[in-house]
Amino acid sequence: MSSKNTNSNIDYTLISIIILLGIVSVFTIYTLQPHLDQNYYLKQVIWYIVGSMAVVVMMLFDFDRLRQVSWILYGIGMILLLMLFFHFPPGIAKEVNGAWGWFEFPVFGTMQPAEFMKVFLIILLAHVIVAHNEKYKNHTLKFDIWLLTKIALVTLPPLALVAKQPDLGGVLVLCAITVSLVLVSGIQWRIILSLVGTAVIAVCLVVAAYIYAPEKVESFVDAAGFEHVESRFQGWLNTEEVGQSGGYQLIRAMLAIGSGQLSGKGIGDYQVVDTIPEPHTDMIFTAIAEQFGFIGSSFVITLYFLLIYRLIHIGLQSNDPFGSYLVTGCIGMFTFQVFQNIGMTVKLLPITGLPLPFISYGGSSTLTYLIAIGMVLSIHFRTKEYMFD
Amino acid sequence: MGDKKKKKKSQLPFRLNILFIFVFGLFSLLILQLGVVQILNGEEAQNEINKTENTPSTKPVPRGKMYDRFGRIVLDNEPVKAITYTPPKNGESAAKRLELAENLAQYVTMFKDREELLDNIKERDKKEYWYLQNAKVVQERLTKKEKELDNSEQYKVMLDKITDKDLQEIEWTDELLNVIAIKKEFDQAFELSPHVVLNEGITEEEFAQVAEHLPELQGINAAIDWKRKPLYGGTFNSFIGGITTSDKGIPLENRDYYLTHGYSLNDRVGTSGLEQQYESVLRGRKEKVQYTTDNSGNVVGSEIVVQGKSGNDLVLTLDMELQQAVDKIVQEELKTAMGKVNNNGYLEDALVAMMNPQTGEILAMSGVRYDREDNEYKDQSYRVIYDAHQPGSAVKGATLLAGFDSGVVHIGETIRDTAIKIAGTPKKESWTNLGNPSDLKAIERSSNVYMFNIALRMSGASYQYNQPLRGFDWDSFQRMRNYFNQFGLGVETGVDLPYEATGVVGQDTVAGKILDLAIGQYDTYTTLQLVQYVSTIANDGYRIRPHLVNEIRQAEPQKGQLGPVVKSFNTEVLNKIGIDDKYIERVKQGFINVFHGSQGTAAGRWSGEYRKYKVAGKTGTAENPQYEDGKMKAYTENLSLVGYAPYDNPEVAFAIVVPKNGGGNTQYAVHHEIGKKIIAKYFELKDERAKNGVDTDLLSDSKQEEDGQTKEE
Repeated sequence: MSSKNTNSNIDYTLISIIILLGIVSVFTIYTLQPHLDQNYYLKQVIWYIVGSMAVVVMMLFDFDRLRQVSWILYGIGMILLLMLFFHFPPGIAKEVNGAWGWFEFPVFGTMQPAEFMKVFLIILLAHVIVAHNEKYKNHTLKFDIWLLTKIALVTLPPLALVAKQPDLGGVLVLCAITVSLVLVSGIQWRIILSLVGTAVIAVCLVVAAYIYAPEKVESFVDAAGFEHVESRFQGWLNTEEVGQSGGYQLIRAMLAIGSGQLSGKGIGDYQVVDTIPEPHTDMIFTAIAEQFGFIGSSFVITLYFLLIYRLIHIGLQSNDPFGSYLVTGCIGMFTFQVFQNIGMTVKLLPITGLPLPFISYGGSSTLTYLIAIGMVLSIHFRTKEYMFD
Repeated sequence: MGDKKKKKKSQLPFRLNILFIFVFGLFSLLILQLGVVQILNGEEAQNEINKTENTPSTKPVPRGKMYDRFGRIVLDNEPVKAITYTPPKNGESAAKRLELAENLAQYVTMFKDREELLDNIKERDKKEYWYLQNAKVVQERLTKKEKELDNSEQYKVMLDKITDKDLQEIEWTDELLNVIAIKKEFDQAFELSPHVVLNEGITEEEFAQVAEHLPELQGINAAIDWKRKPLYGGTFNSFIGGITTSDKGIPLENRDYYLTHGYSLNDRVGTSGLEQQYESVLRGRKEKVQYTTDNSGNVVGSEIVVQGKSGNDLVLTLDMELQQAVDKIVQEELKTAMGKVNNNGYLEDALVAMMNPQTGEILAMSGVRYDREDNEYKDQSYRVIYDAHQPGSAVKGATLLAGFDSGVVHIGETIRDTAIKIAGTPKKESWTNLGNPSDLKAIERSSNVYMFNIALRMSGASYQYNQPLRGFDWDSFQRMRNYFNQFGLGVETGVDLPYEATGVVGQDTVAGKILDLAIGQYDTYTTLQLVQYVSTIANDGYRIRPHLVNEIRQAEPQKGQLGPVVKSFNTEVLNKIGIDDKYIERVKQGFINVFHGSQGTAAGRWSGEYRKYKVAGKTGTAENPQYEDGKMKAYTENLSLVGYAPYDNPEVAFAIVVPKNGGGNTQYAVHHEIGKKIIAKYFELKDERAKNGVDTDLLSDSKQEEDGQTKEE
């Protein structure tokens, strides 16, 4: 907590990071342009301009007011997801790559409600936790379980609807948001640790079962409606055998990234990325890695790290717990998406449909993340510095 | 705020810091893995890319040839210049194919004849071309609903929407039609398998032009293709068999079998005769070449991944000189028989099989059919193994041996040659009253009654003139056939061809039919079965598998030289008949008497100079009345002759069947005439070779006719 003047003001560091990410995004899409069917880089520029306006609006808006509209926002998000669930309205609700996750408006373009739901969930969860903590000052076992129940009740409905689309990536992001908020909500360590322990054991059991009796797990997973999850998991485990189907994307991605080597092949000099379908969306990191190699990709990862660092800083500074929780939710969201998106292209994690925040082409996602950043800026803007805390 | 707030504030930063450490850990992991992928394994990935950019291509190798037993080439390969197109993996877009076709069209004219070109290009082809030029325009014509159809449906609809008026926009010059004709060929190609675009009719100049411009014609190759070339025209062709064309490729019904055995869809495979039987030997191994290209797709090097290997050659058991001579004899004799007055219009076939009885090597197989409709003599030698006929008395050797072995007659036994009459069946007797023939005389003079008695005794029935048979054992049919089967009659001979007939087995509903079975007038047998039967007797009871291929040899290292032997087929004994040798000796003596005895049925025909060949065997005549709509139209006889020579050390066995001759005294003994001539020819060739060696160059004599078929003037 250094000086009085730099705080309670606009966070230029954060803004610079976002601008840098925006440049990387537009530039990368531009180099991919010869392999794309539409003028995506210009569209992305437009989205950034629209997003910047959203940032300004959000920043000027007192984030504390969000508590009052949190349920309304959540309700809007739920209605949109429910409409998708019933494929309503016909002709506008749209299936892309087997998932019912989009609305397509005639002039406007497409919109992905699950993206907005991420921010709405952050706001509502932050509100629920703050309200709870204000009511129950002590963290006893009983109160903590009550809080956990409330969090679960809020999280599960959108989770189920997104899972039904099906959009595994979206589900995982919502989970990441919830987990990070549970961590900072003040719930006792022993509850958190036992929850984490249970989760770890469960995952280990499923993986072990899959290794020893794949058919049974497969049929169970298929029955639960997650065939695509299983095929991607397959592609991740046995990349070579699955070959054309599940593993194809991964093989191409690994070749693209690997052949970038230390310093990359140079701007627009693609050998592999152009054979990956839709390289400007989820797989955009491969384009960066092939062009600019390890140096370029490490630079991008560092940018993200600085972004998270900055968010943590703002979260720590905020003297309003609601603000801290909002920031934490954003941290969870960004961290998970970056880790999952890059992790899947380098075979750390199975392939999942998730955009790389701020860089992947996409209107709804870019707008959502910029709104989140606007929210964070607003928190920073309104943080009062106590000289003598 | 006070205490509580402070407490809360104190736990929040701590937990946020834990979150931060966690984030730090995750990002470090990313950088670490990136390092592994990009720096540690980066070079490998780059190599992998360079490798996968190239796809191996295959080159055809010549199929194995066939030689006769003396190394005379029977089936050769003829090189044919061909332009091939090999689509890359996952195919090539229609626009690219058109571009390539335009390129190739500069050097090649598909149809030299304008009419043919116009015939080849259909309206649909023109529409496809127009579509490629105006894809956007056609797409706009689609209704909203049609746009939702799947690709192939949509394409169909779009083609339908192209009108005649549209087509008139383009001037369909011959040059353009040529381009379309080439593209049409490209459209049929499968990924990674070379498709022949043009072979017959390509000029030297076109081939040279294409070869020169190969670098700019991606996927095009100017290659040498192979075409089968039988050197002896029609002779023996039906046993050599055929292969599919490369347009047809592997037979669809066995597609999976061929694909799993490394065939491409457009490979040619044997579908009949020896080509089919020895497919795996003849096909060889395709050469697989891996081309390496630089970034702009130019070929910078090539590596042979799999060394190509020509198909192995077959050395047949056949004596081509004898085969040709037999073909000629059979045809001439059939022609003579056709001209005789007794011919009542049913005679059409003459069938001959000759083999070495000791080894099973087939020396010649000849079948000539007179085609009444075309008025033409046709080489249809496959009838030797496909067509079965009642041979008549030729099978009596087997009947007598069955009698001996069953203990119903004994050596030297005589039986009175009187007519047999069973109630309800016609009277049966020998061709003339033979008195009291012994077993030997019964063969020499061909006594039916003797054989009838054997059959009746084997059946256990009590016989009285014009009474029904009492106590007839129906199993005796099977017992008799079991004996016949031991000689190869009624079972597969085991010849190395994909198919052979086994003849028709009669329905045993009338007890008296066993008498017909005993004299060869009931079940039917192929000519090849008959030669195996007589060989088994010549061979003292060893039934040998007849075969057409003696050796498999590697492709010739030099022209006119046979390659090293890969496999040779030895004599294979299928079974030894379970009958005492003294009985077989008795039948052999009977067979000698047929040709040399004072009363032998063949002795008169084989007198004089023919005695020196020491032929033994048996004649046969089967009544074969021709019915139409239940009415007898004409009386004909199947004439047959089986035998071997010389009888003291048999080296050639033969079976001759000439079905549906006219009967009567004026009958021309076509079977004897064929028999005498082929045996004389066999020994003549043998003597000549002993003196002058083998004449390996039959073709340059140009003595033989162009093919086995000649028009009847």
